[in-house]
Amino acid sequence: MKRRDVLAAGATFGLAGLAGCSGTFETESSSQFTTVEDRAETVYYPGHIDGMAMLGMGGSGRYRLGLMYSLPHAFWNISARDTNLARVSEDVSAHLMATIWDDETGTVLPTADVSADVLKDGEQVDSRPLWPMLSQTMGYHFGDNVALDGDGTYTARLDVEAMQARAMGGLAGAFEEGVTVEVEFEHTRDQLSNLTYEEFPDRMGDPGAIEPMEMEMPMSRAPERGDLPNVLGTGTTGDADFVAFAPDTTPEFADDGTTYLAVSPRTPYNRYPLPFMSLSATLTRDGKSVYDDVLLAGIDPDLGYHYGAAIDGVESGDSLTVTVDAPPQISRHEGYETAFVEMGEMEMTV
Amino acid sequence: MEDIGSSGASGPSEEGGLSRRQFAKAAVAIGGASALSACLDRGGSPDVAQGPDDLSTLPARQHAWDEFLTRDDHGNVVAPRHRVLLLLNYAGEATPSDAERETAESAFRSLERAYKRGNDGLLFTVGYSPSYFERFDAGLPASVDLQKPRALASFEEPELDEQDAVVHLASDHAPVVLAAEEALLGEQSAVNGVEMDADISGVFERVDRRTGFIGAGLPAENQDVDGIPSSEPVDEEAPLYMGFKSGYRKNQATEDRVTISDGPFAGGTTHQLSKIRLNLDQWYQQDSRSQRVSKMFCPVHAEEDLVEGVGDNLGDSSQMEERSCPAHAEEHARTRGSVGHSQKSARARDEDGSPLMIRRDFDSTDRDENGDDGQASLHFVSLQRTISDFVDTRDAMNGTDLAERSAVGQRNNNGILQYMEVLRRGNFLLPPREHRALPTSNPS
Repeated sequence: MKRRDVLAAGATFGLAGLAGCSGTFETESSSQFTTVEDRAETVYYPGHIDGMAMLGMGGSGRYRLGLMYSLPHAFWNISARDTNLARVSEDVSAHLMATIWDDETGTVLPTADVSADVLKDGEQVDSRPLWPMLSQTMGYHFGDNVALDGDGTYTARLDVEAMQARAMGGLAGAFEEGVTVEVEFEHTRDQLSNLTYEEFPDRMGDPGAIEPMEMEMPMSRAPERGDLPNVLGTGTTGDADFVAFAPDTTPEFADDGTTYLAVSPRTPYNRYPLPFMSLSATLTRDGKSVYDDVLLAGIDPDLGYHYGAAIDGVESGDSLTVTVDAPPQISRHEGYETAFVEMGEMEMTV
Repeated sequence: MEDIGSSGASGPSEEGGLSRRQFAKAAVAIGGASALSACLDRGGSPDVAQGPDDLSTLPARQHAWDEFLTRDDHGNVVAPRHRVLLLLNYAGEATPSDAERETAESAFRSLERAYKRGNDGLLFTVGYSPSYFERFDAGLPASVDLQKPRALASFEEPELDEQDAVVHLASDHAPVVLAAEEALLGEQSAVNGVEMDADISGVFERVDRRTGFIGAGLPAENQDVDGIPSSEPVDEEAPLYMGFKSGYRKNQATEDRVTISDGPFAGGTTHQLSKIRLNLDQWYQQDSRSQRVSKMFCPVHAEEDLVEGVGDNLGDSSQMEERSCPAHAEEHARTRGSVGHSQKSARARDEDGSPLMIRRDFDSTDRDENGDDGQASLHFVSLQRTISDFVDTRDAMNGTDLAERSAVGQRNNNGILQYMEVLRRGNFLLPPREHRALPTSNPS
């Protein structure tokens, strides 16, 4: 860590190893730097949660976008299984977050790519692609730390690219083109610095998660297991829960007469869907393979975000193996960075 | 014209505080007689050999640069360090006359006599856009594939460069590219001891000017710009802002491979030009070294720690085929959820396994049309036989096919797409030398 980051953090801390998934680790925000020992490869309570402020909403067509910010904080990005702590650099002033949903159904959209230009008085003060992210309080969103230029009125111009998941049900045919959404917002240093800062000294590091926050906009929550149709089986890997099911109606992209095999991976406790994974499945019946291929991302207002494929049918007694080929390639806020990395296969008997 | 003598932080008023490399870069970026003069005052006039008296000894191809360029220890071509791109419009009405053609050719020949070809001298090419050729009744021959520029990914929205012509000037010496530009535009009558027989100021109007640099030290010395974090992360040895070497010999097409083989423009090639804004804050502040290696090269390069420093240890190849990276792109997308830039691009190969294009790109601090300084960017110049070859390579680099069936995002963990934004794109034909001066669409 660089000296200036220490000064920015305004607190002392011990040197901590960052590599690997266990052992000492560290988290930080602009105002606090904490160290938790022996974190497990599970979802855990973070040392603290930064409060957020709603900045505004915007939209275009069926796309709706809500913009929030908090104090800047560190997070982890991931490439393959290689996670890296993205520290707070000295020049940033806020952590900007966007959630995007469908105006008609309220479904939170796993769009492929969102980038933000932040302007003040017509001048660009920051410009960057936003990381797809997962946090315990708001689930799937897009965000990064940004540099603002003092109190005033800002415009965030967000380029939202087409959705990178097969749209089903009430979403079919929508979100195949990207849009640009502008949100004007007021920023004062006082507003930002007065945001709540909640610590969890007693639970910090324990298995568990902060509850989803109350928001003025939809959240990305996977349906309860009991609310999914024709559940075939469940499994757990990398501390994520998986529910396999076969809806009664097949999506329109599937051939007639086929059955849609769907797998819904979600975080424990908060049921946030886990996007940007590579999943595959094998289905065997009497020792013969019925299906052995990839599952592709799909989203349906009722079934939520999931991975699926059209197959020739599923019968009682079939054996289903779901394999996580690549873990979710989304950046993680504290408490989610050790889980959902080392993931394997799950066997289920239908 | 901005006066280099009063241009604040980049001018000679603080010249004592500017390194040689910063100063040379700043002079090229500013341009004009004052910049040239400041450059000569500071560094003296480089001792550059003149070109041949008998110009028939020069190759027929304008783009025949490699035989004149120096090579590094691995046999890779060493790119000339300083560059200027002049975007020009034909100044006349209707179609160019033979007299105008002779004037332009005479100016180009004067430059060739003034400087020998090479890193130590001058290299230049002249190209023409589809818009230029539209003024002729006859279309371009079928032997030329020169498409109009367009967006090549759903996430890019470039302004299109439809100027008539582009001149690319290259040299290791900043004063050489500056003097060549001045002489070409008629601002000085002699260059390197050779009288200019003509200049192009009467036949072309300069409508844009872009500048830049490539080579160890230059990016590091000029990293105080938007798009690069203030921690000065760019390695002193890096030839480009992203911190890695490029242009490995085995990952470039040969000049033969990119040359148009028949028709009136045989011996020519096509010249694709993109202005790409670099946003390396996340690259340097939030990605680890191993993530950068994985995203620039291939996940295997990170996992096996194949890249030392800026990648000189890789030799004359980025070790793509050697490590089966292109063949495993889909598997890596599936099992890692992350794929490398070189890995994806190396999927664009012809039936003989050859790359389709030659990179002649360079970094820049150009911010806008006025050449104002301050934004890290890349002028991506590539040569290929057909613009379709460029489109195929760009398609391979987009990795859309990989993202559709895996955890790879449209830009997230999809090579280096996240860190670049194509602001402008233009396509040009580089005719053979004999037709480089205001050619018709079907010269005889």
